[in-house]
Amino acid sequence: MIEVNKIYHSFEIGKKEKKTVIPVLKDVSFQINKGEIVSIVGKSGSGKSTLLNIISGFIKPTDGEVKINNQTVTELSEGEFASFRLQHIGFIFQNFQLIPSMTAFQNVELPLTFKGMNEKERKQKTLETLERVGLAEFKDHYPSELSGGQQQRVSIARALVVNPPLILADEPTGSLDSDTEKSLLAFIKQLNEELGITFLIITHDEEVAEFGHRTIEIVDGHVLEEVGK
Amino acid sequence: MTFKDQFKFVRQNLKKNKSRLFMTVLATAIGVAFLIVLASVGFGLHKSLISDMMQNQLVTQVEIYGKEDSQGLKNEDITYFEEMDGVEAVTRRNELAQMPFFQLDDYTSNTNAIVTHFPSEIKADFKLASGRLPEGENEVVVGYHFTESLIKNGANPEKLYDDEGNINEDYVYTDDLLNKEMDMEVIKLTDGKETKKTISVKIVGIAEKPARDWAYEEHVFISEEILQEVEQFTGVMRGASEMYEGGELDANQSEEVYDYVKVYANNVQEVEGINKALEDKGYMIYSIANEMKQINVIFLIMKIGLIFIGTIALIIASIGIYNTMTMAVTERAPDIGIMKAIGAHPRTIKNIFLLESTYIGLLGAIFGTIVAYGISFLVNLCVPFIIQTAFDEAAPEGFLLSYIPWSLTLISVGICLLVTVFSGLRPAKRATKVDVLKAMRREL
Repeated sequence: MIEVNKIYHSFEIGKKEKKTVIPVLKDVSFQINKGEIVSIVGKSGSGKSTLLNIISGFIKPTDGEVKINNQTVTELSEGEFASFRLQHIGFIFQNFQLIPSMTAFQNVELPLTFKGMNEKERKQKTLETLERVGLAEFKDHYPSELSGGQQQRVSIARALVVNPPLILADEPTGSLDSDTEKSLLAFIKQLNEELGITFLIITHDEEVAEFGHRTIEIVDGHVLEEVGK
Repeated sequence: MTFKDQFKFVRQNLKKNKSRLFMTVLATAIGVAFLIVLASVGFGLHKSLISDMMQNQLVTQVEIYGKEDSQGLKNEDITYFEEMDGVEAVTRRNELAQMPFFQLDDYTSNTNAIVTHFPSEIKADFKLASGRLPEGENEVVVGYHFTESLIKNGANPEKLYDDEGNINEDYVYTDDLLNKEMDMEVIKLTDGKETKKTISVKIVGIAEKPARDWAYEEHVFISEEILQEVEQFTGVMRGASEMYEGGELDANQSEEVYDYVKVYANNVQEVEGINKALEDKGYMIYSIANEMKQINVIFLIMKIGLIFIGTIALIIASIGIYNTMTMAVTERAPDIGIMKAIGAHPRTIKNIFLLESTYIGLLGAIFGTIVAYGISFLVNLCVPFIIQTAFDEAAPEGFLLSYIPWSLTLISVGICLLVTVFSGLRPAKRATKVDVLKAMRREL
């Protein structure tokens, strides 16, 4: 599903002569198979979020390549990657990243609108997805009117609505209390089992890390170890 | 993303900041209104001048004075004119070279006598108010105002006109003219000695009132035979009372020569072609269309100048649009980041912002056009009143200071949209450059 091959990445800070290059990822390689739930763990500043951003296409690696579904995504242009994301990747963010001026329904509907789906089909699909995450009755609520857990479910619904084979989650439970965290993880498990969706989860929470099929630990920009179950 | 969805999205976004939208639309509307009203003055003056010229002379009419290296316009010329493409009628008139006295009962008129070719006159829209066309050689048709030229014999010259310059009511001929016999008196001067001849004619028709209010037609249309009779009497061409050089009657000259020849085109579009063909053939012509062409060029330059000045107002308004759009991009950067993250193509983002600036431009154009029509209406309503008050004189009939043709509206709306799209380009491009990570961290 995902092939990460020899990824190097460094940031440049400072201006001109005083420019300093800080390496973040060094020779990172791993594979994630279809239907797996893989957690990437690491301390703060280990480079795990940078890795996720490279896989997501939000930043280009200094070197190396990433393949998703046999497509070398690191070679895609910004526009091509956007289209690719729309078809193949769903996102769950720590801060939910819902558009505050849109209702839950409109937020979930948005990716389908970008796809150019007709209105009737789009509305039906959006409602079905909101029902799946148990938020159909809150569809007309704005994000500010929903709890953290509910907002994260809306975020999951938005990721699910385009039927992606892969969902990338960046600290999905970071803003949730422990009860909500448990129910969210159970829901991710359910989606994985029922729909065969591959999950790549970035976390520093041990409980979340252990919940997946496999854990990849990043230390100082290297893959330290892969722990399977 | 379909256009319909983009449009819905834009409308939703614009509702978020109604007061800013209102101010931007207002600025654009003022710009459009200024452009239209300013240019409408050029269009209005042009239209007023052209309609004034068209009132004075027929646009389809081409007067022909003669031909280079030729003694006059003859039948062969007339035939050539008539066979030209786009020619409706060719009228030809000859005038008696003296003003005869016409005696009707107790009244006298001293007016022109004209010989014309009635079939071609009728084709050129000549109509009779009453009576019929002449059939006999002594039958005549008189102009509509002929009555006003008849003055009672023995009238006191001092009391002939009233205070307003009109003929005193007591001296005006009030009886019906039709079927009245009158005497036409011509003179001949030989060595200062005057000889008179009287020819009896009968009025069988009265010409229709001329279309132009100012036109005054009091002449008498006589037959070719009467003209010849006068020529025989005076012995001079066109019946002049005195011999002049070249005025001898040429017995051998069998071919008719015409004094006044006018060609009438089927429509205005044909006039230019007819003029060119006639000039190429060496005819000396006068056509109002030629003059109008020059006026049109001058007014075209004036209109372009006014539109250009008006466009500056729109460019100023576009700065407002640029500002609004830039602020919208900055405010919505987090949303743009989220949209890009979940798969919005940069092109879609650009289109949404371009559509937004176009929408503002379109709203401004619509309101600006409505306001411009309102101002134009008010200006045209008030100007005659102002002229009347300030100069104590009525404004010319049909005078328009401001006129907004459809073409001006389309040009102005087009310029407005162009300027607004252009001013929205940079913010829209900026929106596509929003960094997803920074935007989602709310760092923009």
